[in-house]
Amino acid sequence: VKEQVTEDMLNEVVNIYLTETETITHLDMPGISVSVDADDAEAIKERNNRYAELCKNRMGNDKYMDRSMQAFIGASKSKQVQCDSIVMVDTATTWDMYDSFYGAEQDKTELTAEPEKSGYSESIVNSSRGPEKTTSLLSTTSIGNTTLEDDAADPRLILQSEKFQKVLLVMERCILANIFQPKLAAYRQLPIVEGKHNEQQDKEKRNQLFFNVLIVLDCDSVVTPETMEHREEDVERSLSPTLESLWVFSCELTKGRTISCMAWNKKNPDLLAVGYGEFDFRDQTPGLVCCWSLKNPTWPERVYHCNTGVTSLDFSAKHPYRLAVGMTDGTIAIYYVYSQDKTCAVSSSKCSKKHYSSTWQVKWAEQDMGLSGDDKEEALMSISADGRISKWFLHDDLDCVELMRLKRMQEEKDEMETEVKDKKKKGEILRSLNAGFCFDFHPVDSSIYLAGSIDGTIYKCSSSNSQQFLETYSQHFGPVTRIKWCPFNPNVFLSCSLDWTIKLWIQDQLTPLLCLTSTQKQVHDIMWSPKWATVFGAINEGQMKIWNLDYSTLDPVIVHMAAPGVKMTSLLFALQTDCVLVGDNSGQVTVYQIKNFTVGEGNQVRLNKK
Amino acid sequence: MAEVEETLKRIQSQKGVQGIIIVNSEGIPIKTTMDNSSTVQYVGLIHQLVMKARSTLRDLDPQNDLTFLRIRSKKNEIMIAPDKDYFLIVIQNPSD
Repeated sequence: VKEQVTEDMLNEVVNIYLTETETITHLDMPGISVSVDADDAEAIKERNNRYAELCKNRMGNDKYMDRSMQAFIGASKSKQVQCDSIVMVDTATTWDMYDSFYGAEQDKTELTAEPEKSGYSESIVNSSRGPEKTTSLLSTTSIGNTTLEDDAADPRLILQSEKFQKVLLVMERCILANIFQPKLAAYRQLPIVEGKHNEQQDKEKRNQLFFNVLIVLDCDSVVTPETMEHREEDVERSLSPTLESLWVFSCELTKGRTISCMAWNKKNPDLLAVGYGEFDFRDQTPGLVCCWSLKNPTWPERVYHCNTGVTSLDFSAKHPYRLAVGMTDGTIAIYYVYSQDKTCAVSSSKCSKKHYSSTWQVKWAEQDMGLSGDDKEEALMSISADGRISKWFLHDDLDCVELMRLKRMQEEKDEMETEVKDKKKKGEILRSLNAGFCFDFHPVDSSIYLAGSIDGTIYKCSSSNSQQFLETYSQHFGPVTRIKWCPFNPNVFLSCSLDWTIKLWIQDQLTPLLCLTSTQKQVHDIMWSPKWATVFGAINEGQMKIWNLDYSTLDPVIVHMAAPGVKMTSLLFALQTDCVLVGDNSGQVTVYQIKNFTVGEGNQVRLNKK
Repeated sequence: MAEVEETLKRIQSQKGVQGIIIVNSEGIPIKTTMDNSSTVQYVGLIHQLVMKARSTLRDLDPQNDLTFLRIRSKKNEIMIAPDKDYFLIVIQNPSD
């Protein structure tokens, strides 16, 4: 029974006496040699000399006599002893010793100092469980590794653990890499590993044999020249620029949905966000945003369900995990894609100044915040069908500032006239604004942007001036569906519209430089190629076209028809390879590789007037 | 749990996958899509191989550890993800 320790007892001064026991000698073996320098060395030397002389005089001396004696020798007896069997394990390996050194610090189990014990647990797990072998080993391991075995026994814990999920992810990607290897290699412009190497070689050999046989047997037959021609045709056909379909991003969730927008992640070029939402206002199905990875074309990495259809997406450049989504009811939401959490991070539905009509496009752009040119912050811009362009700030919640209102051109003229006459009429007249469809920020000077509207007018605005437009271009007859600045030439931009035309403009000229029409179908989407300066792609309803302005301004270079019944709705160029992604209204994003496409040298768009 | 089941189902339905086996550290299969005799055979043989592979790696550098093992043969490919508590084995025939 332990004595209760009180405060007083702790504060008491306690005297401790240290004593030493006597030296206990277990074994004393005095040395038989003495150093030459020792004190009694002389005496010992004399004794040695006398003894040596004595030995010399022994022979033939009467003082000494030889005599024999018999010693007792006991009978010898052999006795047997048995020790415990010495079990040999693989001699302590490097990692065994490492584990026992560092493992003892990490594990809570009492691992004894013997390193061989950790080796036992492995040898025990044999499928052939002979009871004689394992009993002795079992007893030793149970001392060391009891806690480990308990955890391993519960399969549900294993299956639910996060590590297992990660392992499953990696495994799935490995399997898919095996299946899609040739396609992915083509995408990344790597040499393709021929999995069916033998088959192909056999086929080629067979063809060659067939060919040779034909020549030998049928010298005058018609077959041989035809086959030769056929081959030549094949060779010729494969030299003209064409699109080869590599793979399709689609899964059950996305079947039947229309793809409205696609965007690459700015930091990870393998991550693609796709928004699904119907263009038709009567169709109110809830929208979907899926983040696909190139490494898994069969299932998206992230799936976000939205209340209404999704119209536009953009990844932030400064914070690459932020994905901004614009929807058909005007709300803007920002998702943080780094976690598996399915809930939306921030939404603009509570903001009082939010858009009350569809948000058609969202974009992250850098804006000068302070007076100095270096102070750039990234803000989210949106344009919507209610005619307003807003700039959003993300603090705890989304809040916005209005950048511009798209006033109709006619009304602006009237306004100016009345102002001149009446001098500042302060009455607030509700004017219907021009619904905005699309916008694009200048690649070099990000305070200038172009906005396209529903009546075909393109407004050039500056974010520092929210009252007046810098310029208006009104050459389109129908809603402008997309505007894109040329990434190689800062004065040139393209616009496409539902009036079947694509127009190429120079910044300060009010009439377009070029007007391209190839079919009488509405043009939904265009994009400049990030690699070639004079190339861009366009989507009509049933066709995808790649134009090369260097080559011809009358016809597109490549025309790709959609499958019957399917309408293409969205286009995106891949940034580092020559592939293009096309989304359609059946929920599929097809990746095409552009083949045999030769573009002349020169990164500059030659602006030749017709 | 449902997500894990879904992922396993997806893996099983991928092209060429012949079987999935999840074994615990004692060598008892927790989940398998193959018949019993093949499962037991695979488990027994693969376990020894993984131990040997792991031992080799760690002998070279004790701070290193085995994370994934792929064996490609003429007929198929065996992918093994070993862990302290379990093994995940997937057999796939990519050219199916």
